[in-house]
Order: sequence, then C-alpha cells, then structure tokens
Amino acid sequence: MIKKVLPLILAIVALSLFGLSLGATDVPHMWQFIFHPFLDSQSSAHQIIWQIRAPRVAAALLVGAALGISGSMAQSSTNNPLADPAILGTSAGASLGVLIGVVTNIVSVGSVGAVLCAAIGALAATLLTFSLARSALQLITIGIGVSAILNAIVGLTISAISRPEARSISFWSFGSLALVTPKNLMILAPILIIGSICAWKVAPRLDLLSLGDASVRHIGFNAQRIRLTSFAILATLVAASVSTVGSIAFLALAAPHIARFIFGPRNRNLVVYSAAVGAIILLLADTASRALIPPLELPIGLLTSLIGAPILILTLKRSGDVWR
Amino acid sequence: MALIKIDDVTIVRAGKEVVSHFSAEIAPGKITAIIGPNGSGKTSLLSALAGDLPIASGSISFDGKDLSGISTQEQAKIRSVVQQNRNYWLSYTVREVIEMGQDEESLQRVDHIMSALEINGFADQKVTTLSGGEAQRIEIARALIRDTDIYLLDEPLSAQDSGSKQRIISLLSELRDQGKTIVIIAHIDKGALTWCDQVIETLAQ
Repeated sequence: MIKKVLPLILAIVALSLFGLSLGATDVPHMWQFIFHPFLDSQSSAHQIIWQIRAPRVAAALLVGAALGISGSMAQSSTNNPLADPAILGTSAGASLGVLIGVVTNIVSVGSVGAVLCAAIGALAATLLTFSLARSALQLITIGIGVSAILNAIVGLTISAISRPEARSISFWSFGSLALVTPKNLMILAPILIIGSICAWKVAPRLDLLSLGDASVRHIGFNAQRIRLTSFAILATLVAASVSTVGSIAFLALAAPHIARFIFGPRNRNLVVYSAAVGAIILLLADTASRALIPPLELPIGLLTSLIGAPILILTLKRSGDVWR
Repeated sequence: MALIKIDDVTIVRAGKEVVSHFSAEIAPGKITAIIGPNGSGKTSLLSALAGDLPIASGSISFDGKDLSGISTQEQAKIRSVVQQNRNYWLSYTVREVIEMGQDEESLQRVDHIMSALEINGFADQKVTTLSGGEAQRIEIARALIRDTDIYLLDEPLSAQDSGSKQRIISLLSELRDQGKTIVIIAHIDKGALTWCDQVIETLAQ
C-alpha cells in the first residue's frame, strides 16, 4: 500500500511547491518565503506567494479532490463507468443556478450566494434526472438529456446578454482558477471538507449497490435512498466547485477510473484516492495553464482533458475488458 | 419457526400471467422444494416470497402476517435470499463481497460458513475470477451467515459438483434441525430431492 500511496503524496507536495514558485513576477529569495510561511509578512514576496499563488494552489487541490470524489460517487451509485456529474445533469444545473443568480444581479461570482445558487441548481437538476429515471441505466441516458437541455439554456443565455459580466460568466465553459481569492477559499474549503467526510461515511453503502438493488433490499436497505444520499453529497461538492472555478471537464470521469485501476473498487479507498488523483490532475493542469506560454493563461478545462484523457486511456487499456 | 402461506397468488410479468391462482403452505422447520417445468413461474414465486416482485392478486403471509405489511427492514430480519446465476463484475475480494452490508452478528459467522462451504481457499481471490459454482457459493454464504427464520434459495445446487452439493445439503439440513424454514427452487427430478421434507409442484402456464 505504501508503495502505491507514496508517489501520490510526493506528487501532491512537489506540484504544490512548483505551483507556488511559478508566476508572472520574479520573486527574490522565493524558496525562503515558501519554506518559511511566516517570514516578513509585510514584504511583497510574501504577499505574492501566500496571498495570490497559495489560494490558487489550494483551490486546485480542493476542487480537484472534490470533483474526483463526486465522479467516484456518480459511478458507484449508478453502477456505471460512464457516469460523472456532467452526465447526470449536476454540473449543468450548477452552472445554470449561478448564471441565473448573476444575470439577475442577486449574487456575484465566488460569493456564498453563488455557491448557494449553484447548490440549488445542481440539486434540482440531479433530482430531476433521478425522478425521471426508472433504472440505473436510465440515470445515464436521461441525465445526458437533462444536461443537454440545461447546457443549451446556459449557452443561449450567455450569447443573448451583451453586458460586461457575460465575459466573466463565459469562463465557466472551460473553468478557471485565476479568479480565486483567499475569501473564496474560506467558503469553498469547509463545504468541500464536510462533503468529502460525508462521502467517506456513505462509501460502504455504495459497495453494497454493486450487488444489485435486489441484494440491497434483501438485507434491509433501500437502494434508491442510498443513491439519493450520494447524489445530494456529490451535488454539493460539484456546486461548491462550479460556483467558484467554473465547470472543469473530464476530471470527475478520469480520476476515479485511475484510482480504481490502482486501488480497486472499495468505495472508502475510492473516495480517498479519487480525491488524490483529482487533486494531482487539476494542479498539474493549472500549473501547465500558467507555465506553457507565459504570461498567457490557457483554459484549464482543455488541459484537464489533455492530461486526464491519455492517462485514462492508458489505464483502461492496461486493465483489459473489466471495469474494476 | 415460520409458516409461509401462499394463498391464491397470481403474478403478472410484462403483461403475462407467470403464476396463476397458486396456493401452497410451506411447513415451518422443514426443507421445502418448489419444482416445476421451465416457465412455470418458480423464480417469480420465490421473488414474490422475497418481496422483490409484487403480486397481482392473492396473498402471501409469514406466520399469519401479510407480507405486504412487513417493511423492508423487517423482512430482512425474517428471511435471507439466494438469487440464481449470480455474477460479479467489480474486482472485490470474496471476503469483501460476503461481508458487504452485513451486521455485526452476521459477520461473526463468516468464518464458520466460509469453511463449511469450502470458500476459505479462495477468500482473498477477486470475485471476477471465480467459476459459476464458486460465485454461487459466495451468494449462498452471504445468505447463510444471516440468522433468520426463513431461507429462500433459487437453484442453490445447479452449478455445484457432487462434493459441494453434499456440503450445501448438510448445511441446510443443519439449519432445518435448528428449526429454520428452508425453501429451495429446484430444476431436478423429485427422485433427487430425497433430502427435502416437502415438494411442491408448480404447473406450466
């Protein structure tokens, strides 16, 4: 186990340090400030590293972890390797929720209000999919339909409004960590941490779902209730992520597959390791988005696809025909 | 000890009557086999007893209590179920699958049942690598570690070699001797069911 976990921990630490060191401005004695977080807090070096770069690195870790967990819950609760929050309608619902809030001037991006709007949208869309679907397979097909409708409404709304905020809204198409502030982080962190703990709590019930709904019933549990609980948790995780950094493609699908390949199907393991893999991919994508063509910043959602997809394909090729 | 009463039960699946006005009494503390030709609704009947399949008319009762009035949680305390043709598609280990979702009390019987069914030898193997007979024994183990009054088993012997058959039969007989009510669906001749106390036949529809 240690042999499998150690590389993940090392990758997270190394990427975090690299992320802190990377930026448009050259910071003198940079490593000294990175390794001594309380050194000379009035200096501009400290400000740049700990007020601007650190929140961004922390957000990448938290959001990546949250999306990884939400993907593993989506797959396990539908018993389907194709499922992810983007397919169940959750992500589109969250986007629409924030969009409605922002367009009607009720909330601004990154505020508690925006998280709330996203959560309402995400939960409503997920519940819509859930109530229309009559089987685990239908959750996928109906979810794709619900997502398509909601995404179309989001796209049409963005094209129809010509006000300046439209630009800041359109960043959701690809997602961005550029606008994350320490204040956002104070809202994001507790929601994501509590959500992750809840996910870990319900994980053993998700193992049970793999035996089929009848087997779940036979020992006295309600499969639909287990699904509903996990949808509520994953919708909250997705809502907090989407409302702060926009919708980030592919991560929620790829991270759990990679975690399954390395650590097997137990959902307690999946929660922990999908989180780790998700955090690594998002941090890697964010670092690449800043480092590849500075000072230009590339859309992070495209990079998560570009990094995540080849890893996913390689993993699946190596695991053969079985879904672990 | 539990008496199961099936009274004038009709089961409809996809518009077709698979069981029609069927009545039977299953004696408590006995091993009862339900036999009948293909398509005579044996599995549907067992699913109805397990509470998985609604009945169109008639009634099923356990010790005089109507099944429709017993909650899912209560049912789980009364009966255990073995489904047929079980296959596993995620690479959990054998022990992980047997222990999934089980309560503390059942977990204490895992080792005993695993050795009685000779599962011990492959306890740490992935369930995706098992043969049909081995997978069936995992499903049987999941049910038998649970201490309930009634055990409902759909074709528990169909994929077993003669050694395993004998082990399962003696395990079920042991449970019967403790007063448990056991119902099996079987696909074989009456002659091969001498170990059962009662045989009920369903008719072809």
